[in-house]
Amino acid sequence: MSTFNIEFIVKDLMNAFPNKILDYKLDGARSVFVSIDASILHDVIRYLKDRYDLKHITTISGTDLGDSIELIYNLSPLNRRILVNVKVKVSRDNPHIPSVVSLLPGAVLYEREVHDLLGVVFDGHPSLERLILPDDWPEGVYPLRKDYKVEVK
Amino acid sequence: MVSILAWSRIRSPWILYMCTGACNACDIEVLAALAPKYDVERFGILLKGSPRHADVLVVTGAVSRQVAPRLKRIYEQMPDPKFVIAAGTCATSGGVYWGCYNVLGGIDKVIPVTMYVPGCPVRPEAVIDAVAKLIAKLKSG
Amino acid sequence: MSLYQVPIGPQHPAIKEGFQYNFILDGEVIVDVKLRLGFMHRGIEKGMELRTWTQGIFLSERICGICNVPHTTCYCLAVEKLYGIDVPERAKYLRIIINELNRIHSHLLWIGVLGMELGFHTLFMYVWRDRERVMDLVEMISGNRVTPSMNCIGGVVYDITPEMIPIIRRNLDYLEERTKYYKSVLEEDPSIRARTVDVGVLSTDKALDLCAVGPTARASNVKSDVRFDDPYTFYDMIDFNLITYDTCDVWGRAMVRVDETLECINVIRQALDKMRPGPINVKVKRIPPVGEVTARVEAPRGELFYYVKSDGKETPYRVKIRTPTLANLPSLCEMLKGYYIADIPAIVASIDPCYCCTERVIFIDPNKGKKWTWSYDELRNYSRKYYGVGV
Repeated sequence: MSTFNIEFIVKDLMNAFPNKILDYKLDGARSVFVSIDASILHDVIRYLKDRYDLKHITTISGTDLGDSIELIYNLSPLNRRILVNVKVKVSRDNPHIPSVVSLLPGAVLYEREVHDLLGVVFDGHPSLERLILPDDWPEGVYPLRKDYKVEVK
Repeated sequence: MVSILAWSRIRSPWILYMCTGACNACDIEVLAALAPKYDVERFGILLKGSPRHADVLVVTGAVSRQVAPRLKRIYEQMPDPKFVIAAGTCATSGGVYWGCYNVLGGIDKVIPVTMYVPGCPVRPEAVIDAVAKLIAKLKSG
Repeated sequence: MSLYQVPIGPQHPAIKEGFQYNFILDGEVIVDVKLRLGFMHRGIEKGMELRTWTQGIFLSERICGICNVPHTTCYCLAVEKLYGIDVPERAKYLRIIINELNRIHSHLLWIGVLGMELGFHTLFMYVWRDRERVMDLVEMISGNRVTPSMNCIGGVVYDITPEMIPIIRRNLDYLEERTKYYKSVLEEDPSIRARTVDVGVLSTDKALDLCAVGPTARASNVKSDVRFDDPYTFYDMIDFNLITYDTCDVWGRAMVRVDETLECINVIRQALDKMRPGPINVKVKRIPPVGEVTARVEAPRGELFYYVKSDGKETPYRVKIRTPTLANLPSLCEMLKGYYIADIPAIVASIDPCYCCTERVIFIDPNKGKKWTWSYDELRNYSRKYYGVGV
């Protein structure tokens, strides 16, 4: 299978979704960060999956940026030679975003993890339960948010 | 009758092993102590599966919040007299996981400990030394 | 007839670390599996934000003690990408050598654990005796048997002296001969074959959909290995094979690991031949520039991924780690369906996880939609009545 050219994929995305691809930044020779508007997340992932076979999702990274929560979906094709990192932002006060499990079944545990640690709600997820925090962890407290402070003795 | 029991305990303490949120390095070193190179079985020590059969509980790992009640329950299920060996720096004091929110610290926060074995990870020789010292302590009463 | 749910959780003789599986059973056959993680959750990603860039290496090393070398390698690769530096040539080969030694030790450990799960304790004893050679080599190079702490930001800290090389080669020859013997045991022993062939089948399509990684995927004929797809250090200069099997079962996963061990020995020999004298690290500033990067390496269990973000401070803004076992868990739930309780240890061991077990029983009556639990005392009283011992 031929290796895809990252710049080619990004330009193609910009043509397919005009004005919705906010920014892109290369990360080494085989990886790129593409920032998109959260409303087209499903369409972009479906486009990348159908056109470029980007069916393998490595993980969903969540970061609390202070004013919003940024989610990064790391996608790669069957031959795993490139990594397209799709970035979206959700609001901190109402962190809802559609789940991608229907498109990428492998994302089922990653969404649960981000929900547990950052409080993002993935609408349409089959079972958004607690994954890694203990049963007696208080509701509404999300350890990876910046306002959660750890005591260091 | 009591001296027969004491004699059998000294001759072959049976151990139960539990991991409470560690990186696994101490676990594989404790298992390596059972493997042919270090061979802790020559002291009559057997690794058992149930707390009801065990004399000594070997615990590794800095206790995570989720596992703390289970550790207490396992300790309570063991028949008396029982001994606890905290193997590794994490089991002793929390080790490298300072500042990690889900970690309680050393296992002495949950159950009483007889012996602390430092090391990151603990060496199999140190585990054997700990068990030998325990046997000597049992012998002397 | 109601299906019943059996949780197998953190302390269990069959398994060595902490997950909880809720098996939903129809008699002895597994119908579904639900996961409850969290027993090993230590809050490391948050802990990384409190530590300096160098202290982060030591915390990342203790995420998994068995594959600690890929963790430090991946973390250092990510931070070096932030700095925009390239490590010296000798350091790249040294990284390859220590990574492959770690892979050999991890795969041999796994073969021993497979033996233990199948009740074949002799295999466990034999393999772990031979595995000690690898631990001795790592101790000779770095001073520590399990966690060499060899990587630093900018290269490596320990070097292989010319006196060490013949010792390494001699031990590699020994390990190659022993691994070939274990390969023949796995291929020919009828009890092992009966317990592993056509057990825990994961079809290629399912492996791709559920995003399996590592030997779990390669045994289902998925040709992916980060050392080939996205080469780091000098893997693109070394000639070795990508091992895949198309049997899609536990036996296939065992064979992939055994063949990979033989390839690792080959890789280390080539790295020792190609390595030239030179510096082993470069100095870097205390704080990396602002930016965000990703890095991937091939850990023994599969693709290990780090995302690191710096905001120009002494400590990282965010470190996100995705370990290969998490990627394989959905595939594991799929692999278990339709097999018997007795197959659980072999199938669960075949993805090479780290974990343990315990707990109470939950009853489900799907016809009436009722769900009820028994407390420990209720269960105990029931068993006493059942056996006529008196409550």
